[in-house]
Amino acid sequence: MNERVACRHLTVAYGDHVAADAVSFTVGRGEVFGLLGPNGAGKTSVIRALTTIIAPRSGSASIAGHELHDQTAIRRRIGVLPESSGYPKAPTGEQYLVYFGRIYGLGEPEARHRADALLERFGLAATTTRISAYSRGMRQRLGLCRAMINNPEVLFLDEPTLGLDPAGKDEIVRHLGELAAANGTTVVLCTHLLDEVERVCDRIAIMNRGAIVATGTVEDVILRATGAEIARLHVHPDDAVGAARLIERSVGAAAVGLDESRPGVIDVALSAGVGTGAAMLRAALDADVEVLGFERHRATLTDAFLELTADQEVAA
Amino acid sequence: MTTDAATIGARPERRVAARSPGGSSLVARQELRDLWGSTRGLTALFGFSLLLAVLAYLASADAGINLLDARESVGVIVQTAIALGSLGAIVISADAISGERERGTLEALLVSPLSRRDLVVGKLLAATSMWAAALVVAVPFVVTMARGPGVAADALITLVVAGSLVAAALTALGLAISSVALSTRVSLAASLAALVLLAAPSQLPAIRADGVLGSILIKVNPIASGLRLAQEVLVNQRSWASQWVLLVSPAVAAVLLTAVAVRLSRRIELGDSR
Repeated sequence: MNERVACRHLTVAYGDHVAADAVSFTVGRGEVFGLLGPNGAGKTSVIRALTTIIAPRSGSASIAGHELHDQTAIRRRIGVLPESSGYPKAPTGEQYLVYFGRIYGLGEPEARHRADALLERFGLAATTTRISAYSRGMRQRLGLCRAMINNPEVLFLDEPTLGLDPAGKDEIVRHLGELAAANGTTVVLCTHLLDEVERVCDRIAIMNRGAIVATGTVEDVILRATGAEIARLHVHPDDAVGAARLIERSVGAAAVGLDESRPGVIDVALSAGVGTGAAMLRAALDADVEVLGFERHRATLTDAFLELTADQEVAA
Repeated sequence: MTTDAATIGARPERRVAARSPGGSSLVARQELRDLWGSTRGLTALFGFSLLLAVLAYLASADAGINLLDARESVGVIVQTAIALGSLGAIVISADAISGERERGTLEALLVSPLSRRDLVVGKLLAATSMWAAALVVAVPFVVTMARGPGVAADALITLVVAGSLVAAALTALGLAISSVALSTRVSLAASLAALVLLAAPSQLPAIRADGVLGSILIKVNPIASGLRLAQEVLVNQRSWASQWVLLVSPAVAAVLLTAVAVRLSRRIELGDSR
């Protein structure tokens, strides 16, 4: 079975407040899946339902082949790093991980071996102090170690790079990619850092006001939310209108845009009917348009995110 | 950073038990390390020792500053040890679950295979260590003071039996409240309020305590009952055979409140909603 997470019309509510409304998605083995959305979109509620912390009001879900009512089976197969994870002060990182290893049924030597390997992997092996002396970034890495102590089939990570410096973030993202590719671990990642998502996620879902508003690969979501890629031509402002007319003859008027606020800039939306940016540039040069600059402007995931969650942003 | 691929990367087998074996003992051991490995437990124990030492000094000093006779002094020491030891136990247990919730450490436990029941039982066992430690500290004081009037055996039995039952009941009460309270502050306030309410009947004037209503009120109240036992056996020289009934209430409360705490473990939630 390749499907590790199957979320089917899952609705999570707290009293009258519906936090997640009929959310559906699937995640396969070895896939890194990004669950995105503004604050209050319902991501954490979905994660908490999938990790058996709260019972959904309706709908169903299976994790690693087990339905949500089979809580113990799910819990021993998942690793979770909650968004607001706290840590005890007294134990060392190793003691803390060994404790969780023992909770997951590992023997003392095996738990210690695994703990040491994880601490080594996440750069905490040299730190033998109590957790109270850890920096925020170190605690976050310790949380990741804890989430992986049982070698989980599915890893749920809510803001895993919170508090990490750029190098630390880079390291974590790289580890997640490796984990999914080499180990077949399914990763469900909640984050606000969209560049991380673009780098590591195979597929994403964007939530807004409790519902999924877009799902697919990063490319798919960007394309659907923001439209086609733009080829941008910079010409002399006095030549702009004439140049736009010439380009329209070869690519069609609908694809060409002139913005009065940016004199000398001609945007051409590249789609299947229009062709490549190079063809458009050639058409301009053939028409003796003096091209001062040319660039392809690709919308980012941030553009798509803002587009899809615009009402939430305004409301916020 | 290096990757121990043989250990972490490959997934040839999953040696993870269906449920965590001995979950409650794992939790208890971890809690004991947290309690006694930090300053929390030791500070409470030091305060307890200090209070008991001051009281013992005042009670055994010359007649100029001590208005109690020797038997009354023993009774006061035993009652104080039971009350303060139980107070320590209830303070520790009142923080047990709500403290995890407040510190953000509860979610990691709730998503693990550890059952909520094991979590509560483990914390209950660890919290009772506070009373056990208080008992160890109190025994030398009680034995030393009780030697004079020749009630050392009675004093020791009262302290161990009545004290342990009262402490067990209060520890379970604190834990039950902690399971459902959203913050440690609320949990502590509710637990201490319960402690004060339960201890109040033991402060009734003797004339009322001996009445029908006063007698019932004391016998159904675990703390008042335990403290009254110390009074009757050690001060009023009543026999154990006539006073054993005063142990019923603490024993029943210990069993019932432990059952309630375990039952309430099902209702342990994170306490925030998004």
